Amino acid sequence: MSRAATFWVWAVFAFMYLPIAMIALFSLNDSKIMSLPFSGFTLHWYADVLGDGRLGGGFLTTLSVAFLVAICATVLGALAALALSFYPMRGRGIFTVLLLAPFLIPKLILAVAQLILFNEAGLPRSLLTVIGAQTVIVLPFSTLVIASVLIRIDRGLLEAAADLGASGLSAFRRVVLPLMANGLLASWVVAFVLSSSEYVLTAFVSGRAQPLSVLVASDFRFALSPSLNALAVMIVFGNIALVALAELIRRRAGQARG
Amino acid sequence: MSARVGTYLAAPVMAFLIALCVTPLLILFAYSFFRVDFVAISYDPSFANYAKIAGSATYRGLILKAFGSGALVAAITAVIGYPVAWFIAKRAGAMKSALLTLLLVPLYSGDLVRVFAWRVLLGAEGVINRSLIWAGVTDAPIQGLLFSPLATHIALTYNYLPFMVIGLWLAFESLDDAWLEAAADLGAKGPSRFARVVLPLTSPGLIAGGLMVFVMVVGDYLTPQLLGGASGITVISAINDLFGTAFDWPLGSAIAWTMLAILMAFFALGAVLIRRSSLVGGA
Repeated sequence: MSRAATFWVWAVFAFMYLPIAMIALFSLNDSKIMSLPFSGFTLHWYADVLGDGRLGGGFLTTLSVAFLVAICATVLGALAALALSFYPMRGRGIFTVLLLAPFLIPKLILAVAQLILFNEAGLPRSLLTVIGAQTVIVLPFSTLVIASVLIRIDRGLLEAAADLGASGLSAFRRVVLPLMANGLLASWVVAFVLSSSEYVLTAFVSGRAQPLSVLVASDFRFALSPSLNALAVMIVFGNIALVALAELIRRRAGQARG
Repeated sequence: MSARVGTYLAAPVMAFLIALCVTPLLILFAYSFFRVDFVAISYDPSFANYAKIAGSATYRGLILKAFGSGALVAAITAVIGYPVAWFIAKRAGAMKSALLTLLLVPLYSGDLVRVFAWRVLLGAEGVINRSLIWAGVTDAPIQGLLFSPLATHIALTYNYLPFMVIGLWLAFESLDDAWLEAAADLGAKGPSRFARVVLPLTSPGLIAGGLMVFVMVVGDYLTPQLLGGASGITVISAINDLFGTAFDWPLGSAIAWTMLAILMAFFALGAVLIRRSSLVGGA
């Protein structure tokens, strides 16, 4: 039974990586046709993407949006995680539901709701509305990352600081904050990745300046081409590298305590 | 005093969520009672939109179809994920955290890229069809591969399987092996140990994972749109059309709130079921 299970697990993981492996393979194949006899190795699909000015502009927009969304989500996520896991608070249950709701509500429904709000409030759609909207759906994840670091901090340290005469604020600044710093950094990176690859919400609330995901959506929708494969591969590996970095930072936050 | 600290910390987050999540949904709710008068929205409340949804076979069909897809994909991911979760919790040993990380990594590639990758695999000009033609298995591309319910459901399963595995893995982690030994000592055979011990004790994970997958499949817009072809019209894409080309925001709002209300009912039911099944587990 154990061998059958091992085989099953391998098969499932192969399924999870099959699509990514395929686009990676054909992004390196020297032919416009994506079919099995490989025609040889090439990097010119990557050169095509990197030389495309329209994509370059979208990429810069994405970077600046993701940079700011990651800061907003990390600051709010830190406040939420502290309130949920460190300092007792009133209305904890409803706060948790409110925090998780954006993760479970269908994104398109949240998108049309925000569209109506911005419309009623007379706010023109811009990168500002994109940043606000994305922060809402990234917040559950950044809170989770920071909370996972906070719950490993020994409460005894706070008591010790109080016994030594530290005020609540100085105990926080000199004990809790240094211990949660890695959690904040990990949250920033995860939020950056989630923001940069978000599409449905972004498409609804973005104005004239369009991030990369909105820009390439119609290409992805209507065309198949090796240079789109190359673009997708760069996005995937960029994201994976950043997430690996965040995970490394988060784990070191644990080890320093251990 | 410290209960105040937590409340103060939470206040800005609460304010932000009320501004950009709760308020928009409430305005959406208000809109669901309005109507479109030629090209302007007439703020004259009535239940007409909800009556229209209840009376329309098309919208009723789309809502049922969404729930059918959600239930189907939840069931498929449960069957595929159950052995995986068991293996990660009970047999993986030192590889446990590596396997969990590997499971979650594809999620970070973003929905757009993942759906695109399935188009590359399944499309008429895609890898599978081209390669089958090259190998001489068929002369013409198999059209049914892409733009079909099959393609949509393969990709939906792919998208949401990790969430099911995580839910089940948590349940297996808290399953004490002593229960199994006790059942074996009392003479229970393999299948009956599974049906009467393992399955009931992991059912909270099954319900939680199933609910999560169900909700995300129902709310998925991109996957059916990009892979389903003519079959890709869903209740979610209908909302999208009403807010775009069809310009009937009030009707779109009413459909959106119908979906939200049904999903909330499912959550309440799920919470009750999980509480009840964990009571059984604790007994």
